[in-house]
Amino acid sequence: MGAYATAKELGREAVLEKIKSAGLMTYGLRREDFCEALKQAEEAAPVDAGLNNADTDGALLELLRENPGRIFEGIRIAGMLTGTEALSLYLPEKETALAEELGGTAETYGIEIINDIIDVRKSERHFLLHIVTAAELSDILEGTSEEGVYIKAEDKPLEKVRSDTKVSSLISLEGARAVSMGYHFFTPEEAADKTAADAVNAVIKVIREDQCIVRETLDKLSAFRRASCGKCVFCREGLIQLEYMQKEITAARGKAEYPGLTQEIGEAMGISTLCSVGQESAKAALDATAKFAGEYEAHIKKNKCPAGVCTSFSHIYVDPQACTGCGDCMDVCPADCIEGRPKYIHMIDEFDCTKCGKCIEACEEDAIVKTSGKLPKLPNILTKAGRFRKH
Amino acid sequence: MACITIDGVKIEVPEGKNILECALDAGIYIPHLCHHKDLNPLGSCRMCIVQADGHSGPEPSCMLKAEDGLVIHTKSDEIRKLQMLALELLLAGHPEDCSTCPKYGHCELQMLIQYIGPKTGRLKHRSKGFAPDGRNPLLLHDMNRCILCGRCVRACGDLRGVGVLQYQKKEDLEVYTGTLHQKLLKDTDCRFCEACAEVCPTGTIRDILASSEIKKEDYVVPCRAGCPAHTNIPEYIRFVKEGDFDAAAAVIREKLPFPKSLGYVCSHACELECKRKALNEPMSIRNIKRFAAEQDSGKYWKGKGKQLPDTGKKVCIVGAGPAGLTAAYYLRKQGHSVTVKEALPTAGGMLSYGIPSYRMPRELVQEEIRVFTDQGVKIETNVKVEKPAELLKEYDAVLMAIGGHAGVRLPMKGNTLPGVLLNIDFLRRAAMGEETGLGKHVIVLGGGNVAFDCARTAKRLGAEEIHVACLEARDKMTSDDEEIEQAKEEGIFVHPAQTFEAITGEDHVTGVDFMNVESFSFDENRKAIIKKEEGSEHHIDADTVIFAVGQRTEITEAAGLVLGRGSSISVKDMTKDKSASIQGVFAAGDCIYGTKSVVMAVESGREAASQIDLYLGGDGDIEETLAPKQKADPCIGVIPGFSGLSRQKPQVDPADRRQDNFSLFDHGFCRETACAEAGRCLQCDLRLQISEPRTWGDFS
Repeated sequence: MGAYATAKELGREAVLEKIKSAGLMTYGLRREDFCEALKQAEEAAPVDAGLNNADTDGALLELLRENPGRIFEGIRIAGMLTGTEALSLYLPEKETALAEELGGTAETYGIEIINDIIDVRKSERHFLLHIVTAAELSDILEGTSEEGVYIKAEDKPLEKVRSDTKVSSLISLEGARAVSMGYHFFTPEEAADKTAADAVNAVIKVIREDQCIVRETLDKLSAFRRASCGKCVFCREGLIQLEYMQKEITAARGKAEYPGLTQEIGEAMGISTLCSVGQESAKAALDATAKFAGEYEAHIKKNKCPAGVCTSFSHIYVDPQACTGCGDCMDVCPADCIEGRPKYIHMIDEFDCTKCGKCIEACEEDAIVKTSGKLPKLPNILTKAGRFRKH
Repeated sequence: MACITIDGVKIEVPEGKNILECALDAGIYIPHLCHHKDLNPLGSCRMCIVQADGHSGPEPSCMLKAEDGLVIHTKSDEIRKLQMLALELLLAGHPEDCSTCPKYGHCELQMLIQYIGPKTGRLKHRSKGFAPDGRNPLLLHDMNRCILCGRCVRACGDLRGVGVLQYQKKEDLEVYTGTLHQKLLKDTDCRFCEACAEVCPTGTIRDILASSEIKKEDYVVPCRAGCPAHTNIPEYIRFVKEGDFDAAAAVIREKLPFPKSLGYVCSHACELECKRKALNEPMSIRNIKRFAAEQDSGKYWKGKGKQLPDTGKKVCIVGAGPAGLTAAYYLRKQGHSVTVKEALPTAGGMLSYGIPSYRMPRELVQEEIRVFTDQGVKIETNVKVEKPAELLKEYDAVLMAIGGHAGVRLPMKGNTLPGVLLNIDFLRRAAMGEETGLGKHVIVLGGGNVAFDCARTAKRLGAEEIHVACLEARDKMTSDDEEIEQAKEEGIFVHPAQTFEAITGEDHVTGVDFMNVESFSFDENRKAIIKKEEGSEHHIDADTVIFAVGQRTEITEAAGLVLGRGSSISVKDMTKDKSASIQGVFAAGDCIYGTKSVVMAVESGREAASQIDLYLGGDGDIEETLAPKQKADPCIGVIPGFSGLSRQKPQVDPADRRQDNFSLFDHGFCRETACAEAGRCLQCDLRLQISEPRTWGDFS
């Protein structure tokens, strides 16, 4: 017998009793007692199930892929508890294939699948249900529930662990520059003290020494911009400004006021938006600018990306003393940005260079150099090999 | 009720009302942008944030509901800082060229900038990269100016129930409001109500017809503005749509005491202005009016209109045409004793003698005139007034409304030959059943509706071959297209762009010499400039020529009044002061401005009534409300294929059944077509229900 059938047989009161004794908490950003949340909901409030709007990783969708019936049963049970037949499941906009795949089954449960974030304005009087809470409702009725949270640590598969599991036992903090968890960035020291329960989107990821924190921040902001519905000014325009500033910083055009402005806008976003996209999307940028201020300073003031990721800070040039004008570099350049003629010193056009380094490997004379420092004097017109004077 | 405190001011407000509205209604200004009085709060712009005691932080007051004891602060450093930042963020994506924006001076964003004074130059400014979109009728879209307040989306969805406008995202993640896949509005469920343009705080969605030189209600509802009598057209169309024909007729009667006659013959200036013509075809307003008037039981107005007690003043009106009778009707309602003197045997003026009965059934005119006599207007027929001044011995005021009953004979060779007739004489004789002098081959000279009345009357009197020739090119002819088409169906030949060179014949008309017109225009002095086509001389044989080139007033200096151009009666001001050269004598209708239309005459009569009432010591207010108050539903919803709904056609008898008799052949609408046609209306006037924005200037 399915979980919903069991629930129906037990009746609403008995189900509530069961949930209460299991101590079910709502999943997501606001963890509260499920029964309390239910009390707050209006009678016959439609059920809107989904991930947190801010969950751009979507790691928890694995639960849905693995066993959709478990989630659907849970949604129906929630519907039975609020007293509604209006059941919706929101999937991230990009998950159209998953929606397609599950659409038929969902229909048999009376659940409508919508590819969008939840519009909190329209859902103001609805009962919001996290996918994980739905799964747990099912488990409680099936008698298979156990304490814990879902975690996807690094590339490991999604697994359920006890809530109090230390982060340090889930990932290795060795060589970590930072830890990305939930919607935050933590220093490795901070992360060591955190538990699995702090990863509200299940994701724990180590940002290693060879990864740039500004770049990681930028990627997160870009993902949030794609998720944002654009209605709240602070979410829409704030993300545009934050993304722009981080992009400028990684492109070696950062300005001294950017970290401060990022903080000002980021803090305002947290209190000036209606859903978790706006409220959480600046958290990583706030953490990055506050906890990794040194890295920002290196980018902006010292013209350096400590991880060596931001290519705008490095230069590749042809050593005019060593180049024989063989043309091998020209042949391999994918950006077509090397100019030269046989027996003339070749020149790299920095504007188009993607710093891929293929020319360095191709050069038998070891004449092509990558540096993060200043460029030496280089020819600006085609010059015969051996004829270029340093001074 | 709840007692709340805003900035130290205690106010009583309904429980649950949003705090922003509470404050604004109490005269306390809170800046706001996405909020609009008539729309559901959105809480997105963050301009209206306030701090409530006991709440964790600032929150938008539009989303905060009043509860007893709530204490609100609208000003603090934190609030100010957040408002400034919100505006700074908004402006980062808004063009900086305020001075070239059509909304300059009326822009709510601009006013907020002045009020809040955001920081400048800190953020990355960008252009959103939208091209101005002029593909749609009536509305212009300049999405670069959009600040995503979402008012248009809510107006379209929540207020109107249409939901065509939604938030959309471009590939570059720039958000905008618009139709799905940037469809043209006509390909969506758009009802062209223009609520979007009305609520837009910036210059993003704009009404193409908006103008600083025209009153807003006139460019928003051009049909009503275009009607000389300013009949509330959208209102009666809505009543027709709802099937309440009595109410519709009452709306019409508030301005027009000849609803039925005008339903048949009105020149419908309103239809020329109808905004629906920008989508496909204008509304068939006249036929809707006709149907409503035909169905009218009189329940809202019979014996119910205004009738002031007798004043003891006596007014004589000379001429029982539309202008004179209208003035008589309203003057009677103002309490004056009114006598109308008519030279002809029957009242009605051109309605009875000018317009042929196949267009204007005579019994209908008399039925409408009975309303006036029932109201107490006395009509004396077969009385010709020669000297209006003498009437002042008996009456306190005299109104000359003698129309234009003298045909105009063009100065040209042969113009007095036997066989040459004048439009109005011919039509009057035909109407009275007298001998007209009509032959078998007829040429009508002129291109207006009267020319076609002559031609089609001649057809019905048995003429064998009929030509209508005029100076104007086909597209410049002043007659209704419908008239021309129907005349052609009846076998009448129409020759536009002709000069009349001479009427030929020795002792009787034998025809007319014509030349083709290459171009015809007027210079700055209104002098006609005609270029003829060389070698295009040609002749059409005829035994009858009818001049249909205008009418004049039948009056001479002997009447004792100062006359103006074309023997019209001079008045001080055509609309505002209709007093003639003798004190106590007024004039209205065709006799002051030349031949126009029935509805113009009605309006002129109304104005005269008001002015004469003032002259006689009344308040001059002839307005009356007859129709029940209409609750126009702002939620118009979706009608599939709305923009393409085509104009309903009246039921018209075929040419072979109508061309040999004077019976009415246009039967107008039936209930089904009238209601369907009414359903096509854009209901432009609904936009005037929408609240005006409240800006800080209103609160200082």
